[in-house]
Parts: sequence; C-alpha cells; structure tokens
Amino acid sequence: MSGAAATPANLRGERLRLRLRNLADFGRRFARRRDGLIGLVILAVFAVLAIVPTLIVGPLETATTPSGLSLQAPGGAHLLGTDELGRDMLNLTVHGARISMVIGLLATAVTILLGAVIGIVSGYLGGTTDTILMRITDFFLVLPTFVLALILAPIILDLIGSDAQILGIPSTLFVIIVVIGITSWASTARIIRSQALSVKERMFVARARVIGGGGGHIMWRHILPNVLNLIVANTVLTFAGAILTETTLSFIGLGDPLLPSWGQILNMAQSTGAPGLGAWWYFAPPATCIVLVVLSFTLVGGALDDVLNPRMRSRR
Amino acid sequence: MGGRYLARRVLQAILTITFIILLNFLLFRMMPGSPERVLARNLPEAARAQLLVRWGLDKPLIPDQLVAYVSATLQGDLGESYKFRGRSVVDVLGERIWPTLILFGLGEVFAIILGLGLGAYSGWRRGGAVDYVGNGVSLILYSMPYFVIGMALLIVFSTSLGWFPTSGMYTIGASYSGLEQQLADFLAHLALPLTTVAIGLIGQYSILMRSSIIDTLTEDYVTTARAKGLTEGRILRSHALPNALLPAVTLVAINLGYVIAGAITVEVVFNWPGIGTLTVIALSARDYPVLQGIFLLLSVSVVLANLVADILYGALDPRVRT
Repeated sequence: MSGAAATPANLRGERLRLRLRNLADFGRRFARRRDGLIGLVILAVFAVLAIVPTLIVGPLETATTPSGLSLQAPGGAHLLGTDELGRDMLNLTVHGARISMVIGLLATAVTILLGAVIGIVSGYLGGTTDTILMRITDFFLVLPTFVLALILAPIILDLIGSDAQILGIPSTLFVIIVVIGITSWASTARIIRSQALSVKERMFVARARVIGGGGGHIMWRHILPNVLNLIVANTVLTFAGAILTETTLSFIGLGDPLLPSWGQILNMAQSTGAPGLGAWWYFAPPATCIVLVVLSFTLVGGALDDVLNPRMRSRR
Repeated sequence: MGGRYLARRVLQAILTITFIILLNFLLFRMMPGSPERVLARNLPEAARAQLLVRWGLDKPLIPDQLVAYVSATLQGDLGESYKFRGRSVVDVLGERIWPTLILFGLGEVFAIILGLGLGAYSGWRRGGAVDYVGNGVSLILYSMPYFVIGMALLIVFSTSLGWFPTSGMYTIGASYSGLEQQLADFLAHLALPLTTVAIGLIGQYSILMRSSIIDTLTEDYVTTARAKGLTEGRILRSHALPNALLPAVTLVAINLGYVIAGAITVEVVFNWPGIGTLTVIALSARDYPVLQGIFLLLSVSVVLANLVADILYGALDPRVRT
C-alpha cells in the first residue's frame, strides 16, 4: 500500500491506477506481436461489416428482391457476381458476416460460460464433485463432438419446432448456438480447472476462508479473477472454432436459408452445383471471409496466450 | 508394459463406450414423436397395441426398454432405416463404410508422411525459409474448412481443366473390359477427394509436429548429444525425431474426431458414396436410426483409435506407464 491513509476512496483510486498500469503494460506487450496486430486489424474490419451491413451494401437481398440476373460473373454493377437467384454476392457476403459472427459470438459465450463454471467448480470443490465432472468432461473430449452436434441439432429442432423463436433468435440459429456450446466446452473446462486447482492453494484463498467467505463468494471474487487470463485467451481461440463448426453445420444443411451465414451460402453454392458450372465467385467470397476470420482469431488468440500466460506458451 | 496401465486404459474405453450406448438410448427416447408414434402411425387401436408389445414399448423405460436396447445394440441390431425402406441400419452402413475407409485411410497415410515430414523439417530449421512459408501455409490450411479446399480443386482441375471426373466413385453406366480399366476409373475419381483430405490434414499435422520437435530440441539429451560432437543430422535422426514422434502420434489419434467432421463435408463436395454423404441424406430425410448408427459407429471408432494410441504410447514411452 502507498503512503496515503487506507480510506475506501483512496483504496479504490489505488486499485484503479494499478489496473490502468496493468492494462497499459499488457497493451505494450501485445503491440510487439505483429501477427496479433494483423489479426486484430482484420477482425476490426469484419466487426464493422457485421455491425452495419445495411449501410455498406443496402438491405439483404432475398429470393423476391434480387438485383441482377442468374449467375452473372463479377464485373459492372455486381463486383462479386450474382447467385443463381440473381442476388448480389457482395450483398450476401457482407450480410453473411453479421450472421456468422453473431452465431460465433453467442456460441462462444455459451461454451465459455459452461467451461468456466464447470472448470472452476470442479477445481475448487474437488472430491466427488470433481471426479464426476471430470469424468463427464473426459467423455466429451473423446467423443467426436461434431457428430454428436449433427444428431442433436435436428432432434432439438424438431422438439421445439423450426418456426419458433427463442429469446428473439430464430430456432434454427438458436439450435446451432446451443449445440456448439454443448459439444465444445470440455477443453475449456479442463484448462480452467487445472488453473483453479493451483489458485485455490494460494494464501489469499485460505485467508478468505478464515474470515468466513463462502464457497460461492471465493469462487467469484478470488478464483475467477485469477483464471480470467486463461479465459480471455481461450475465448478468442474458441471463437475461431465456433465459426468453423457453424460453417460446417450450415454447409451440410442445418443452416437457415432465410438468414444466410457464410456456411449457408456455401451450402447453396454446393446445391446449385456452382463448382461444376465454373461459378467460382459463388463460393470464393464467403470462403475467403471464413479463412480470414478464423486465421485472425487464431493469430490474436496465439498472441494473447503468449502475452497473458507466458508460462504456458503454446508456440503455434 | 505394466498390466495395470493396460487394464486401466481398456476399462476406460469400455466405460466410454457404455456411456455412448446410454446416450444413444436417451437420444432415441428424446426423438421427436417418440418411437411409438413413429412406428405406429395411422394404425387401428388393436394393431397399435400389438405393435407396441412387439417392440416392447408397453414396458417401462427403465429397466426393460433399456435392457432390450442395449442387448440389441450389442448383437449388432441397430434397427431399420426410415429412408431406405426395408433395409437394416447395419446393412446401409456396411455398404457405405468401404469408400470412406479407403478415402480417409489413404488420406491419413499421405498426410501423416508429408505433414509430419514438413513439420519436422520446419521445426528443425526454425526461422528458415521452409519454416516461414510452411508455417504460414499450414496456418491458412488449418483455418480452411475441408470442403472449401475441395470446391477449389474441383473447379480448377475438373471443371476448367477437365483432368478429373467431378463426382462419384465410378463413371455412371460405364462398362469395363477388365479389372485394370475399372481400377483406373476408380483412381481417377479418387484423386481429387484424396488430395483434398490430404491437404486438409497436412496443415494440422505439420503444426503439431513442428511444435513437438521444437520442444524436443530443448531437452537435455539433445544438448548432451551435441556436446558429444554428433552431427546435426545424427542428432535429428536418432535423438530428436523418435522422441518428437511420440506426442505427434497421440495427437493424430486425438484429432481423429475433428477429421471426421471434415470427412463428411469432403464426401458431399465430390458426391463420394461413403458415410459422409449418407449422413447428409439421413439428415435431410430425418432418418434417425441411421443417424444414430453413424454416431455409434464413428464415436466407437474414435474411442478405439484413442485406446490403440494410448497403448502404443505406453509401449514406446516408459514414463507414462503409471
């Protein structure tokens, strides 16, 4: 503590200064990672596309409002050509950014939430709870979770009905989000648990317990802040995986044709036979976007991992 | 190898497979419209009751239905397909499994040889030209869904250049004068999907092997070997490579689950008549028995592959036998 009297106001100021210094320090170290910065810039561009697609290319073109003729090659009024219904590919791809990124974001949130809660609870409580939770985690780690997602998605969809809306999200997309969450939390839980195991042995946890802190309080105020580094790096990498899984699920026919994500556009390209017709512009734009976004997340995630967790360097 | 290590791994695998079968049972009961509605649609009351008795659906869920389901599964009875009328799930799967095994078996072999080779060389010459380019390309391939690679290859080598057929396993309606001709047709159809699978996997495997070899090169025994005056080539061949291969092999087995996801989509792009295209057909027809059969088949294969990798690892590396 600095020389000033430890009044609550002073303490708060001190804590804020410390946080700011940590943040600035983190910023400097991250800025030294060129790959991370490149990834960040690309992601920023896609974030803008996802936030204001309508400002950039106008409203999403549907089967009834196409602006061109069927399968026009790039050029003229259509920079990236048109699909089989005459919809502008640039329009579809930019709107696809919003749909893909939102699904990816929500699926990541579900995954991290499940993984962090299970990891922290399992690591902190230990004993039988830990054994049972880790058995389940191991089971999900071994399982080909994508195949599980494949059979879970139509079952859940048929159970809730495909026209329904849940929390304002169309049920088709909701199911994809939930299914990605259910099937990919296990590795997050494993990583968080191992960190929680070591954090709970530290002195401040014992002190918190001595002054009467309950389990929930300790996990929330003491364990969580100390595993946050791992959670942040893991979130970014999970996002990349979620986008890829969404793309694959939509590609094989679990997407929503009315809300075309990049994977759904590729599905339409495939069922139209675009590769056989030589219509490369039908699948090149969404495919390029997917690669760029996933690659950027991987780069940023790797850089974050290095900066935040220097001891667990992943060296990818 | 320690008998206890082996026993524990086998027990774990059996436990996991038990879980998978239980999960499959649960999913079957969760199924929309429940089994009795699906089986006994539009039937008079008497016939319906008879059918329920025949399928054991009049008995309680646990234990009777569970016991019946598990024993049927263990005897290889996975039910009847909805889509392919009058055929059993096992029958449908059996016919589709060979094309998939050939495509992915060969793809894995190529990818393991090329990917591990590339990764080992990049890691050994860390920071060199091959490492720089190889690592960049691997990262891009790693971020690319397999089917995108497939679509690109298809449009270049099949649609534009016309070197390879676009879909299927054989030319439709072709008659062959001999076995060689049939084989040639098969190989022409196999070339592009196989290349897609191999390219898709090479990125992953080379990244794995690269970090594995970099880790190994920092080990004390490598420093010792260098101090003894061994040549760099000798250090790589007899000290670094064998030890770096171990974790890489395990990771290949663990990755099998992800590979399957890619497998399904590659088959769709090339209309390859394997488990992947079957999955999509079953998915669009909501053929749940077939989907469950696919889930059972693939997850049990992955568990067994992991078991084999664990056992191999234990046999090769005494440190893990605990």
